[in-house]
Amino acid sequence: MTNLLGRKSVPARLSRRNILSYSVTALLATTMIAGSTTSFAANVDLTKWSPEYVKSIAGTAEVDTAAECAKVVPSDYKGRLSYWWVGPTQAQPEIDHKMDAEFWAAWKKAYPNIETDAQSLDYNDMLNKVRTAALGNAAPMVAKFPILWGVEFAAKGQLKELKPEDVGYATDDFWPGAMKSVTYEGKTYGIPTNNETMGFIWNAKIFADAGLDPEKPPATWDDVVKYSKQIKDKLGINGYGLVARQNAGNTPFRFMPQLWAYGGGALDETSEQPTYKTVELNNAGSKAALQAAYDMYVRDKSVPASALTNTQNENQNPFIAGQLAMMIAHPAEYAKMVDLASKATGADKAAADAVVQNMRYGLLPEGPARRAVVFGGSNVHVFAPELVEGGLDVDAARAFICFSTGPEWSTKLAWVGSNPGHLDGFTTKWMKERLDTIKFLDVTTSMLPSGIPFPVIPEQAEIMNIIVPDMLQNALTGKMTVDQAADDAAQKVQELLDGM
Amino acid sequence: MSTLTQTSPRPRPRPKKPIGGWRWAGRGILAFLLLFTALPMAWMVITSLKSQLAALQYPPQWWPEEVTFENYILLLSPNNAVGQEFLQYFWNSLYVSILSTILGVAVAVPAAYAFSRFRFPGRQMLFFSVLLRNMFPAVVFLMPLFLMMKWLGLVNTHGSLILTYLTFGLPLSIWLLKGFYDNIPPQLEQAARIDGATRFQAFFYIVMPLSSPGIIATAIYAFIMAWNEYVYALTFLNSKDKLTLPVGLQRFFAEYATNWPGLMAASFIMSVPVVVLFLVLQKYFVRALTEGAVKS
Amino acid sequence: MTIHVAHRSGAMPAPNLRRKPNLFQRILLHWNDYTYIAPALIVMLLVIAFPIYYTVELSFFKTPANLSMDKKIFVGLDNYWAILTSKSFWNVTYNTLIWTVFSTFFAFVLGLGAALALNREFLGRGVLRAVLLVPYVISAVAASYVWKWLYHSDFGVIGALSVQFGFTDRPINFLDNIYTALPAIIVVNIWKEFSFAMIMLLAGLQTVPDQLLRAAQVDGANAWQRFWHVTMPHLKGVSMVTILLLLVTNLNSFIIPWIMTGGGPAGATDIWITQIYQMAFGRIRFGMASAYSVILFIVMMLLGYFYVKALTRGDEAKVE
Repeated sequence: MTNLLGRKSVPARLSRRNILSYSVTALLATTMIAGSTTSFAANVDLTKWSPEYVKSIAGTAEVDTAAECAKVVPSDYKGRLSYWWVGPTQAQPEIDHKMDAEFWAAWKKAYPNIETDAQSLDYNDMLNKVRTAALGNAAPMVAKFPILWGVEFAAKGQLKELKPEDVGYATDDFWPGAMKSVTYEGKTYGIPTNNETMGFIWNAKIFADAGLDPEKPPATWDDVVKYSKQIKDKLGINGYGLVARQNAGNTPFRFMPQLWAYGGGALDETSEQPTYKTVELNNAGSKAALQAAYDMYVRDKSVPASALTNTQNENQNPFIAGQLAMMIAHPAEYAKMVDLASKATGADKAAADAVVQNMRYGLLPEGPARRAVVFGGSNVHVFAPELVEGGLDVDAARAFICFSTGPEWSTKLAWVGSNPGHLDGFTTKWMKERLDTIKFLDVTTSMLPSGIPFPVIPEQAEIMNIIVPDMLQNALTGKMTVDQAADDAAQKVQELLDGM
Repeated sequence: MSTLTQTSPRPRPRPKKPIGGWRWAGRGILAFLLLFTALPMAWMVITSLKSQLAALQYPPQWWPEEVTFENYILLLSPNNAVGQEFLQYFWNSLYVSILSTILGVAVAVPAAYAFSRFRFPGRQMLFFSVLLRNMFPAVVFLMPLFLMMKWLGLVNTHGSLILTYLTFGLPLSIWLLKGFYDNIPPQLEQAARIDGATRFQAFFYIVMPLSSPGIIATAIYAFIMAWNEYVYALTFLNSKDKLTLPVGLQRFFAEYATNWPGLMAASFIMSVPVVVLFLVLQKYFVRALTEGAVKS
Repeated sequence: MTIHVAHRSGAMPAPNLRRKPNLFQRILLHWNDYTYIAPALIVMLLVIAFPIYYTVELSFFKTPANLSMDKKIFVGLDNYWAILTSKSFWNVTYNTLIWTVFSTFFAFVLGLGAALALNREFLGRGVLRAVLLVPYVISAVAASYVWKWLYHSDFGVIGALSVQFGFTDRPINFLDNIYTALPAIIVVNIWKEFSFAMIMLLAGLQTVPDQLLRAAQVDGANAWQRFWHVTMPHLKGVSMVTILLLLVTNLNSFIIPWIMTGGGPAGATDIWITQIYQMAFGRIRFGMASAYSVILFIVMMLLGYFYVKALTRGDEAKVE
């Protein structure tokens, strides 16, 4: 077995670690895969995770993806592949488009005989489309989903089992939290492609104008409420970018961290060994978090009034226009802001540039219970052969997954917005380049260990996208009191679990 | 109510005094409706002439401090990715709408003719069940129709939309054209047939031309329906290069964050073809809407 | 193939050669006629009949999130029972009623006002009529975004104007408030469709004989009396059709509520259609959504019955 990554050669077949354990001493974790010979194995020690550590390992290893994957599926393999994913959009920075184009060129070069039909879908429509397609036996062979979606399809038996070993990697090469998200009832149905967590951004100038320390983010969620009010009262500008739109994925991404920080939860997803059986949406912590949102929206009116119809996208422009002081932000949002500013013209330009200058990134606030953030990212899945339009070409799918989830492309395709799912990606030179060029990447990256995955149950989409936003809306519109809203939501989750 | 107290000395050509109040009320209503109709559209246009950040001011700029056409240029210039995409949506919409309109008419004309001329069993029932077509909301049909399109191999093709859209205009076309054929004396055809025309020829050369106003009227109605349709297009199409404008517009919104000015510009451009078509063929369109419901 | 051409104009076919042929024989006799309607019929069967069948069938099944569709569980009328007994159903039905009735009522009243006012010659009448019709022809998607922008709680022009003129001291949260969201989207709906009522009624007004109005005037009837006793009776038929069409359109309208509020905030603008969509695609309860759809079908069919009746108004409606 070749030692590709220049790490100390350790005999393979040592141990398969418990994927739930956070103590992945990756130096030891290696792989022995039936049928295939490649192995990268993680060269990364998650216990040492910190911005400094991330910087120290970047650029320490080389990788030749095409050669490695050729060991899994020969590069002259002749076949077909259909693939759906959320491709880069016009809103994304130039580099994403460049990487995407490079990826497809590299793929074509590595496997010239695999005829590829790739469909880039819109994030907001994709879930419904995949559901309909799977029902109508019109699914693609391979699809890349946001981290939450796979379990629903796995539960319905619509996915083919797929584990890292199937494409020449090891389970330990990936974040344990990410592997949790592709595991349903003990079986693995996908491979993480990229993982990220959010950070907190604020406008230092607005903070200074409002008499706050411009270089320090609010330390706790209670501070967020306080700061938000202070900013609104002093400057008339909205403080915190609350979002509470119904049926929009980014509402729970922004609200659950707050809920968890106060000690709440949808189910018991915050515990070490979650069973997803007990409902915690109406515990004291959840109610405290809901109360905090209520205080900002109703009592202090210090957040955008349009929060109930807003998605996160709709906060970006007010932020860049200097009309919003702080919000939870995706790692890509900095790049997006820079991009927005670069496209602005005339008087807009000066204003937007100033905001970018004053933009700061920090860790998410803590709560009484913990600091928490949603463990996000994407996974790649293979659909069950009978659902695939025109049948499944297993080897083409394996070749593609090997190629796209390896250290190289999992890093490059996640350029501004995320981090490699394959942990060895952190050791590549591209990671180093990213750290050198993308401001604040180390900050958001260092939130990863605080990441909590959403419950891995098929009902999760309904809980997160419908019940949780509903709870917020019920409380914020005054239709129910905070207690009633929480109890009502908890009851709905309970009914859902009972299989109504 | 006929109180014949006043035997009306001279019949006035135009009503006088008491009418004044009513006429003013009428003018008031019209003025109000004109504002109600036009102001939102005016604000759409004004916003579309603003830069992104200029739109996000409170209080708003009532008139853009700096009028810019960049949103229109961006959308309509084939030299950049946004423009290419938007123009692609535009052509797709045009293509789907035109084709479904033509096919719709082609299907409706013989059916209307048959409903008018023939007395076959089930005629009434079939006729009225056709009329009920538009009573079913698109939303509830999405799943079954998707499955069917899949069986027909039409998913992610414009064929799926054309097949669905051509039924939008059917009830109206059949209803309207049947009215026409009812009024065309059958003797005309008989005369032609005596002269040696086949039945089809008689129909095609004699009856069809006489019904062309009805055909135009229903065609424009069907075109506008197809142009604006959103729900089916959202479900049946995946490829970005196949999307139609309403879906593209929504996607545009999702992608471009809150680029309200850009969105307003896109809404404006999207409305132009149907509005122009409508203005040019107004007479026919109005006829399409009202024929059948209004009998003298 | 041409035996039975054009025996309309009064004289019925007179096929009394034999005893009346049975249905099958008659169909055979006329089979050639069906080829004319066949294309239309096939398309309609595909696009309408099949979905109806499928929806009705699925409404008797439960489709849990963790099972694939072919493992659906037969539950009889449980879905209907669950819907009709749930609190949310009645809330949504209430919203649906408000949405449908108010949209229809105001669209009709405004349309009637406009039609009466436009029903005389004056300079610019044609232009005015055309301008008023523009909202009706533009896409509902575009209209929804335009109005969403007008209503925007932070940057919307309506809120800003109301502050400017001193009606309120803060911009109004039209779409982010449970009390104003539904009225706000109803206004959009009225904006979109009042001109449909206008154009229908305008056409109806052309059928009111001028002499009759003149005569009434000669008889001393005032404007209101002439309207009520002469004009209105002539508009009865077209009003019926218009109102029914508006009711159907409003019950079916999805785009405006979906794009503007998505049924929110806190369910304040949830109507049947958005609820069905949400149930099917947001919560993947296809069985439940189908049962909901069937309930909607039944209401639609009822309206459809009256629609056909109003359209034919007696004269055509005799069955063979």
